[in-house]
Amino acid sequence: MTEITQSSSYSLTDRLDAAAIASAAPSQAQLMKELHVKRRPGWTSRLPPGLAAFATNPKGMTGVVILLALILFSIFGPMLSDYNPNRRAGGPHVMPSQEHVLGTTRMGKDVFTQLAYGGRISLTVGFGAGLTAALIGLAIGISAGYFGGRVDDILTFFVNVVLVLPGLPLIIVIATMVETASPWVIGAVLAATGWGWSARTIRTQTLSLRTREFVLSAELMGEKKWRIILVEIFPNMLSFFMSGLVLGTIAAILAEAALEFIGLGDPNAITWGTMLFWAQNNLALQSNAWWEIWPPCIAIMLTGAALVMVNFSVDEITNPQLRASRKIGLIRKFLSSRGRSADVF
Amino acid sequence: MSSDRALIEVRNLTVDYVGEHSVARAVNGIDFDIREGEAFGLAGESGCGKSTVAFALARLTRLPGLVSGGQVRLHGEDVLKFDKARLKAYRWNEVSFVFQSAMNALNPVIPVSEQIMDVIETHEPQLGKDGARKRAVELFELVGIPPKRLDDFPHQFSGGMRQRICIAIALALQPKLIIMDEPTTALDVVVQRDIIEQIVELKNRLGFSVLFITHDLGLMIEFCDRIGVMYSGELVEVAPAEAILTDPQHPYTRALGNSFPPLTGPRVRLEGIAGTPPDIRDLPQGCRFSPRCPHAMEVCRTDAPELRFYPEHRSQAACHLLN
Amino acid sequence: MIFLARRLAFYFAAFFLAITFNFLIPRLMPGDPSDRIIASFQGRLNESQVAAIRQSYGLEGSLWEQYLTYVGSVFRLDFGISTVQFPEPTASLLFYGATWTLVLVGLAIALAFTIGSIMGIHAAWNRGGFFDSFFTPINVMMNAFTPAIVALVLFYAFSLQLRWFPLGRAHDPNLMAAFNFQFIGSVLYHATLPVLSIFLVSFGGWHLGMRNVMINLLNDDFVILARAKGLSDNRVKYRYVARNAILPQITSLALSVGYMLGGALVTEQVFNYPGLGKFTFTAIGSRDYSFIQGQLLLLTTAVLVANLLSDIANVILDPRLRKG
Repeated sequence: MTEITQSSSYSLTDRLDAAAIASAAPSQAQLMKELHVKRRPGWTSRLPPGLAAFATNPKGMTGVVILLALILFSIFGPMLSDYNPNRRAGGPHVMPSQEHVLGTTRMGKDVFTQLAYGGRISLTVGFGAGLTAALIGLAIGISAGYFGGRVDDILTFFVNVVLVLPGLPLIIVIATMVETASPWVIGAVLAATGWGWSARTIRTQTLSLRTREFVLSAELMGEKKWRIILVEIFPNMLSFFMSGLVLGTIAAILAEAALEFIGLGDPNAITWGTMLFWAQNNLALQSNAWWEIWPPCIAIMLTGAALVMVNFSVDEITNPQLRASRKIGLIRKFLSSRGRSADVF
Repeated sequence: MSSDRALIEVRNLTVDYVGEHSVARAVNGIDFDIREGEAFGLAGESGCGKSTVAFALARLTRLPGLVSGGQVRLHGEDVLKFDKARLKAYRWNEVSFVFQSAMNALNPVIPVSEQIMDVIETHEPQLGKDGARKRAVELFELVGIPPKRLDDFPHQFSGGMRQRICIAIALALQPKLIIMDEPTTALDVVVQRDIIEQIVELKNRLGFSVLFITHDLGLMIEFCDRIGVMYSGELVEVAPAEAILTDPQHPYTRALGNSFPPLTGPRVRLEGIAGTPPDIRDLPQGCRFSPRCPHAMEVCRTDAPELRFYPEHRSQAACHLLN
Repeated sequence: MIFLARRLAFYFAAFFLAITFNFLIPRLMPGDPSDRIIASFQGRLNESQVAAIRQSYGLEGSLWEQYLTYVGSVFRLDFGISTVQFPEPTASLLFYGATWTLVLVGLAIALAFTIGSIMGIHAAWNRGGFFDSFFTPINVMMNAFTPAIVALVLFYAFSLQLRWFPLGRAHDPNLMAAFNFQFIGSVLYHATLPVLSIFLVSFGGWHLGMRNVMINLLNDDFVILARAKGLSDNRVKYRYVARNAILPQITSLALSVGYMLGGALVTEQVFNYPGLGKFTFTAIGSRDYSFIQGQLLLLTTAVLVANLLSDIANVILDPRLRKG
């Protein structure tokens, strides 16, 4: 490529001195190797980009695996047990053994069986309430942001009211009034009071999308409003919706457990929260029956931790700045190994 | 007014964006000089890497960007190898920066005075608070803002005034080079004119060099001594400003010039550039411009041309057509 | 000032909405509270006694009259008579419990916000480093461990097993309330574990919030300009980044007061701490509606006051809100 051609022109690269040549960047393939950048695995190529990013995120997938394990345990756990969760299955406070994998409660009920049955209700209520709250938040957030004006004023007022009303105390009032608050009632109340944050975030996002070209051009072309909302705006809200769903579910699972723990729930329902309630009431800790109290604790903590991990990955997918920081250590190493200063931002 | 001595020599500069599953080469081994007292312009469509070059020069490359190779030499010293102490001295004493959006370039919650004085107090502590304040007053006068407004907050100024304040901050330590990244894009046309005239006047008076970045080719030709045209992370032409319109060598430069109407002279049909710039993660073989080039030949699709100097045109260009 | 006036108007509206909620909920439910009381006497009451009970629940007259009476009593701080601690007025019980809850929540919020924010600043500034990759996920996960569980763990380990901390009460019962070292020391000693439980489940939120806001700000032009100016790291970090990142955090802080109060209810129950939560727990057991409604109003007021304070703080800290 450096052969001299007919004209009097000359190549500038010939003028590069040794230092400039030595400082040349490695090839992209080499760079990827040095910074541990791996090509997108082939199997993700058919997934939509957001989902593919999620599927290759280690934190998110750990969370999903834990959640799946908990769900599978709740679905199939009861089939592994011969006991009825509501009936006496052995003596009071039997230590974990072959017969009772996680021991028995003071009432002699099998803890393992209760844990599996409880998971069914606790997870259903948690995810159900989280999903409902996220959907309400989505609908109100998009409407307020998209329609603007009076609609926005009124909806924003309600969003702010829901945000400032203290959730748990409000639920306590409602739950005491309905006499026995079944897990489903608690779930419904949690869904009805838990959509404030997600509505607020989605409203802000919609406001910024509203003036973007693709929305304006759809409007000019006379698209129907509901179509614009569904086709143009909603797909951009997916990650915020996901985030609202995850956070809403965490809040619902924790709040349900807390409510039942303080005795507001139906004590005959079997959930992780009521298991805690009975364990506390039966002085399980004071009588050293750790197996009555720790299993529901650990189940709730695992669910919370798994959802937090999923939320971390959703954050990283929506926010490129958070994603970028994962490579910072390797980038520093790359720079200092070449004698260059490594103050990276 | 510009001398022939190079202030900054950019050699083989390469900047990559490190993604999750790919590395995108945003700037691919470019070479150019900025001479003392010269206004050097970088032109090109958005996304061609011109701002990335500016940030690399100022040592401000942010994640996920990585200056993966090359040199930026200030009077022969490699800026990319500066340690913390030398870097602190380099910053603002030698190179300062004016951003595109004056709206976002000032911290909205602290008074403007503090944002001018802190840079003076950091680099010239011997002046003390009073000395720094005196300098700030002078700088305000220099850019034509009443010094009594020194303690106001950024939101209390108009867009044009905010940009003047940014210029005042850029001048605080009388640097050798001021990098201006689209300094007037966010302003309306009248204010734009005022500000550019003011920069020209200050440059003539104080003698600093400027690296000027804008997509407004007309403005750039008027203001700059020499212009580099970038396409998809590479320099395709470097030429004296007046030659960019009158004697363009590269087909892309010609197309770029054609898409801007001359202010005077006969009306000509505007020719935009067909197609869009390539995705830097998926570049064409050979010359990067070849898929959009009306004159593309067989060789253009296989071999990448290199930047060569053509003395008869006083310009450097990277195109097979010229050989 | 216009900003503050508008916020104030909103808080009044929200407060009235809470009162109205409180008024309507029992009346919308099948069977009102007085029915249960009356039923519990199994027909041993005569007509005038029944009327007296209904009167005491404010259930006489048209709905509108009842509402006016209710609003009036709220503003006179008259929440009726407690059925649990008969004949103590509900209001005095509420305020007694609220004092101790405020001690817990106040200490916990102050600690969690300060420590969480400092950790967030550190994590964001050294993002991708060891501290950030290790402690950020762990701290946030603790947020998902409900207060009930953390309180149980701490109670089990430090009160039951190791016996380092007391099994209940807000202070040594042999001490008289006084502003002296001994009494305050005893209060702090009794509050340590409850405060620690609320702290542990909330500081991670401040850590993550501060970190994410900071990381986004790191990319803002004014922060890049501050770096380009060659200012010291500490100046950029605190005066340009953290200074701005704190503004949204203050708004979230006020909104989180409700959540923190909810956490306190549960914690008090575990530690047998005589705050609002403990009383509410007893009130739930004996269906003492006047107390349960009172706690909602009191806590709502607390959240609204916290929000007003955060608005004032924002006006002081953010010059953009001061115009007009």
